[in-house]
Amino acid sequence: MARWLVRLYPHAWRVRYEEEFLAMLEQRSASVWDLLDVALGVLDAWLRPQVMSERRIMVQRMRGSVLAVLWAWVGLVVAGVGFQKMTEYGDFVRAARENTLVGGAFDAVVIGAVAAMVAICVGGAPIAFAAARSALAEGRRDVPLLLCLPVLSLAIFVGYTLLIVRVIDPALERFASGEATDVTLLLSLAVVFVLAAVASVGAVSAAIRRSEIAALPIRFAIYPSAVAAVAMLVVLVGAVVWGLALRAQAPALFAGDEGIASASTSGTWMVIVTVMAVSTAVAIVAAIRGLRARSLQRPAGRPLS
Amino acid sequence: MVDDGVSKLGRFSDPALFVLVSLAEGEKHGYAMMEDIERTCGTRLGPGTLYGALSRLEKRGLVEPLVASGQRRRPYRITAPGASALEKRLRELEGFARAGLGRLATA
Repeated sequence: MARWLVRLYPHAWRVRYEEEFLAMLEQRSASVWDLLDVALGVLDAWLRPQVMSERRIMVQRMRGSVLAVLWAWVGLVVAGVGFQKMTEYGDFVRAARENTLVGGAFDAVVIGAVAAMVAICVGGAPIAFAAARSALAEGRRDVPLLLCLPVLSLAIFVGYTLLIVRVIDPALERFASGEATDVTLLLSLAVVFVLAAVASVGAVSAAIRRSEIAALPIRFAIYPSAVAAVAMLVVLVGAVVWGLALRAQAPALFAGDEGIASASTSGTWMVIVTVMAVSTAVAIVAAIRGLRARSLQRPAGRPLS
Repeated sequence: MVDDGVSKLGRFSDPALFVLVSLAEGEKHGYAMMEDIERTCGTRLGPGTLYGALSRLEKRGLVEPLVASGQRRRPYRITAPGASALEKRLRELEGFARAGLGRLATA
């Protein structure tokens, strides 16, 4: 009877404790109270599970690594937008045209950035879809609202950009035109962009953490997140080579003040490269951890809980 | 971080305390723990209650299983955080007992 009751414990509990539990039961004859106690233990193990299955641990680890790559990607996007902003000035465009290495490095940054974005979308879309579907099935509103936040953030950023370009900047030009005004507007735009990006990824992360997502989309996302990490490495190498090649080809330009908001070119480049390097390192470590967890976990499509 | 709140284990607080006291003497497997708890605390823990307490203590890092090669019975031992949590709880109970006995003496 007691042996039969033990079979009612959750699978993860049985994997961990069944053998020693049965060995203990065999050492004394089970009374009716013991049987009742085991039955209550079964109920408790189902209601308040204390043992997490190896599979669930691995899936959670994979989910954590996917989210870490997502956050790292946002860091790279912020730095990449800064890189794009800096290099759009005529002197840099000319340098890229005239020097193959500068031009090639810039192209590598663009290609890597596009590849990382595509990989993030390919890996993230099924997870976001699964999270939304699970939330709708449970009648929850928080998860769909969180998933709407990136769209709202984008709308706010675009709206603010249009406000600056069409209203604020022309209005200010009537009264006072100056570099300080342009720098202030540019910095405010950068702040709004960073806030929007952080809010978007924070909302998506929270939505994923709150949802009961099957292991399958998370397992699938491990490969695109690894591709995104490699693409981020391409972006980083491209940005480093771009700066070094520019310094060799146009030292005066590199030593000048053509950085973002008229900051020093070399200083801006170094900040951008540093942010990219940190983001890429986080993404690579997370991707390796995710791949390792994936290789240890056998495929299954059951929910996380 | 280890949650050392033995008193926060709901209906498993007392069984968890008994298990920690039993393991404070040395490593034991489940049956030996049940026997020891019955002898020293006067309480007979049921198998489900014992393993409910053990799983909670293990999850919080207060006890740890030992490798039992070739044996079905698995011994457990108290960890350093477990010993610290046990001492803290016993000091609380000691103060509580002293206060209660003091009141009885003056009543």
